[in-house]
Amino acid sequence: MAEQKKLEVKDLRISFHTTNGKVQAVRDISFDLYKGETLAIVGESGSGKSVTSRAIMGILAGNAIKEGGKILYDGKDLMKVSEDEFHRIRGDKIAMVFQDPLSSLNPIMRVGQQLTEAMLLKNKASRKESKESLNKMFRALDTRMKEAGVEGSTEDLTKFKKFSLKHSALQSEYTESLDSAREALALAENLILRIDNKSLRNIREDMNAFVLAANKSLSRFVVNEKAEQLRELAVKVKADMGKKTAEELAGAREALQQSLDILQAAVNAETPNTFTLGYYLTFVEDKIPDLPVKELNVLTHQKIDTEYMNEFMNKAEKAIQYSIDQTNEARSKAIALLKSKLPVFEAEAPNKSEVDAAVREMKVAVQNCLDPLEVVKDSLTHTFPTSIDYAVDLFFTGSSKNAKEQKRFDRAQKKYDAIVAKGKTPDWEVIPASYVNLEAAHQDMVDTINEQLHHFEEQIEATKTADLPARSLQIVDYLKEQAENSSYKITKGAARERAIKLLEGVGIDEPRRRYRQYPFEFSGGMRQRIVIAIALTANPDILICDEPTTALDVTIQAQILELINELKRQRDLSVIFITHDLGVVANMADRIAVMYAGKIVEYGTAEDVFYSPAHPYTWALLSSVPDLDTKERLESIPGTPPNMIYPPKGDAFAERNKNALEIDFEEQPPMFKITDTHYAATWLLHPNAPKIEMPKVITERINRMKQGRSSSNE
Amino acid sequence: MSENNHQEPLLKVEHLSMYFGKRDAVKKAVNDVSFDIYKGEIFGLVGESGCGKTTTGRTIIRLYDATSGSVYFHGTRIVAGTRSYVEEIKQQRAKIKELSSNGGAEAEIQACKDRIAELRQEIKKAKYDHKHVNDQFRKDEAERVTREYQEAISKPGAEKHALHRKYLHDLRLARHSQLVTKIQMIYQDPIASLDPRMTVREIIAEGLKIQGEKDQKVIDEKVLKMLETVGLVSEHATRYPHEFSGGQRQRIGIARSIVMNPEMIIADEPISALDVSIRAQVINLLNELRASMGLTILFIAHDLSVVKYFSDRIGVMYYGNLVEMTDSDELFRCPLHPYTKSLLSAIPLPDPESERNRIRIRYNPLVDHEYTTEEPELREVIPGHFVRCTLKEFEKYREEAQK
Repeated sequence: MAEQKKLEVKDLRISFHTTNGKVQAVRDISFDLYKGETLAIVGESGSGKSVTSRAIMGILAGNAIKEGGKILYDGKDLMKVSEDEFHRIRGDKIAMVFQDPLSSLNPIMRVGQQLTEAMLLKNKASRKESKESLNKMFRALDTRMKEAGVEGSTEDLTKFKKFSLKHSALQSEYTESLDSAREALALAENLILRIDNKSLRNIREDMNAFVLAANKSLSRFVVNEKAEQLRELAVKVKADMGKKTAEELAGAREALQQSLDILQAAVNAETPNTFTLGYYLTFVEDKIPDLPVKELNVLTHQKIDTEYMNEFMNKAEKAIQYSIDQTNEARSKAIALLKSKLPVFEAEAPNKSEVDAAVREMKVAVQNCLDPLEVVKDSLTHTFPTSIDYAVDLFFTGSSKNAKEQKRFDRAQKKYDAIVAKGKTPDWEVIPASYVNLEAAHQDMVDTINEQLHHFEEQIEATKTADLPARSLQIVDYLKEQAENSSYKITKGAARERAIKLLEGVGIDEPRRRYRQYPFEFSGGMRQRIVIAIALTANPDILICDEPTTALDVTIQAQILELINELKRQRDLSVIFITHDLGVVANMADRIAVMYAGKIVEYGTAEDVFYSPAHPYTWALLSSVPDLDTKERLESIPGTPPNMIYPPKGDAFAERNKNALEIDFEEQPPMFKITDTHYAATWLLHPNAPKIEMPKVITERINRMKQGRSSSNE
Repeated sequence: MSENNHQEPLLKVEHLSMYFGKRDAVKKAVNDVSFDIYKGEIFGLVGESGCGKTTTGRTIIRLYDATSGSVYFHGTRIVAGTRSYVEEIKQQRAKIKELSSNGGAEAEIQACKDRIAELRQEIKKAKYDHKHVNDQFRKDEAERVTREYQEAISKPGAEKHALHRKYLHDLRLARHSQLVTKIQMIYQDPIASLDPRMTVREIIAEGLKIQGEKDQKVIDEKVLKMLETVGLVSEHATRYPHEFSGGQRQRIGIARSIVMNPEMIIADEPISALDVSIRAQVINLLNELRASMGLTILFIAHDLSVVKYFSDRIGVMYYGNLVEMTDSDELFRCPLHPYTKSLLSAIPLPDPESERNRIRIRYNPLVDHEYTTEEPELREVIPGHFVRCTLKEFEKYREEAQK
């Protein structure tokens, strides 16, 4: 798969302890999330869609039991990371937008404060983290280069470190002044408009902001040779600050008009390559030559390539090749070891001490297979030790757990029966016993090892055709990015400016005024925009939206959906969109997972699910929504979702399904593959199943949609 | 609906206004809204949140005291606001002052004074109507009951005594009856609108008890029948609301309102808080009740595809004003007001390809209208199709509608 996998959910199982017994909210869910795509999870309330998203965020309720499965993200299994580690992921890498905007905002805090709070707190942590990962990569490169027999590796890397520091300093200076220029431009436009329209209330504040922003934007790369001119114009504007009428402000208006052109040019100016420039300044000449930015970029690029980078890349490639060879060797060893130890686990009754010894050996072997030069982390290998520990522990403690549970159940049942025998009805119920499935736990152990084996084999195959130049470039990019992050410091003022820009980005008018308001001063749609803005403050990779539009009406809903789509495009976000309304997801989802009773019953691209739905539940969902041409009686879904304390044995939807087959009540259907992208769990897809057509309402609607499209195309 | 034109409307709303707040900060939640609802039809009221559709519904059943305008139900004035009269009196007084200071004609001043006297009468009448809504209705009801029993009682028979007791019971109920209870409301949030400490039986029976029904047997019988009608079973009567799912709770809310044997129901977003799969159940139930009980429904919602499916006629509201009103098919075939167009363009459809290419029309009243020279009014552009517009726009819309 060419796309980059961002998140992998594998066989997730989650239950909740309640007074009535164990509610199985999520049962064996698996899906992947790729970079820059939207995955919609659709289902009615109680189907486990919110529980899934909360598990990814690590905010499950206290009575939740994580029964099994993995959520793999960036080398970590989110089901097993500690709370401390989760602090670094939650909100920072994965952010969430909740259903009710009012209850997810703090009512006694100004909106601006809520936006900047997280930014300031997170910044410090992320600087530290970037520094650590930067140093780790440098160390790994150093050792690998030495081992590969490359000469002068330490000197090269010290050089790299030195100029990458220069680069990050330059970069932050540049972005700061560019941001100021943008801000000054917006302010100038606004001010001119206000003077023209004679709306001069509190104009002093904005003028002051303009002067400050204009002065900040004076740097070598942003407002270059016209810096002196702009400074004079700012002084002129400052002189007029106390004046109150439009006539008196005519001079200031003139100055603003002139600065407008300068700032416009500055904002559109060529971006300097600070990376190459950093090298140039550190090792070639410590003064920037007086050249246009474009030529400067070319010059510095040539310099760094000829003098340093080409050679460095060659060396890095060698190191990578060496590292791959080493890792593959370790992998082959690990495969042999895992294979030899497999019978220990597969035995009818595994021996505890044998298993423990095997696990210890296996952990060491698998840990050796981690390539220190990897940029995209291999989550499965990283999490192997915890996974195997967990599986082994579950299996060996399972029987004692079961005995305990049996005892508790017997005691409760006895007490209950005693009361009934007296002729009374107890006002409580016996909590049904929930046993550990030993067979499944056993299988789970073996599966964990097999999965790892398979994964190693795949990787050895994949590394044979590794694109070395691409990988070394990847490493350079990674170092560059981490260096930038490690010195990127946000001050309070900068955070404020960023927050205002975010507010503007999510479509809130007059962000400067709105910044200082309280949540209750906003309407429902505006509040939801603020919640989205807060979720975006930390530049997350993944945005989870849990029914973000259910509390909003149609027009506002359309606006919010458009906003999420646009932000996704701009920032290359991966979005998980949770809703109960299939109509809402049609325009934003790339892929759709339909959930029912804790299971994914259908999974496919938006086109698959809407144009050729396969599961009876999807049919029911689609036909219960009237569209604009529906005339006949609506097909409602009879009954209610099953009680998940006693999940049904067969297909969970069978009881509410008119056309349920006999087997639906007896056995759970597996996921049948319809096309490469489309899967559904229903016995109807079994080759021996009787032919049952989807309801007429849907076929007619699909035909109508197709016709409508072909006629509009003509 | 051509057949409706001959028919007397069941509910007639005339220039209804509902303002909140005092002089400086008046919020015009409903501003001069007029429409008719005919017997047996479903009238949909749509608009975004905060446009005053819920306030309209609540003012009709007198949960708020209307600022001005009137509502007629069965020809009886059930809501009568007086603010518009008071304002006019103020205007007339100012006019008199101006005329007398300028030495105007005596006749004109007299005309103004007459007008003021007339308006005072109107106010008096409105206040009287407001206070004595139920008088005529109770009288009629009592007469009806007497007529029903007269013949049976006059005949000698063994059951005469029991019959007479029943007659007196019914007569007492009739004398305590209220006209407004013929209009019932279903609320948006089934969790918030049911008392968590009352059983279903108590919830449904409460209205009957308030109406004066004391016979427990009758109450039980009616409650169980209602439960059956809305698709619940008699065991549910002793349970509490939290033991039900969302759809079932909304059914209880419906049972509570139809046990009063209403002629009209105001359904205030009855499905917005429900899951998609349950929405269909509630809509189907309302449709069945409409057929079996001959109900008239004022359906308030923001989900246009449901309103389209469910209603016969639709009124679109925007910031307290009714901007467009017509048959539901006509509205979707040919929307005229720009706000309606923007609303229709925002409906999400279960069709990925057309959705991705959908262009939402944005509505900005400052750009789309020119109201500085002329105040807009609700005008009938083509028969049965009303749009709020100025005369200039009226011509434009007419051309557009006839295409």
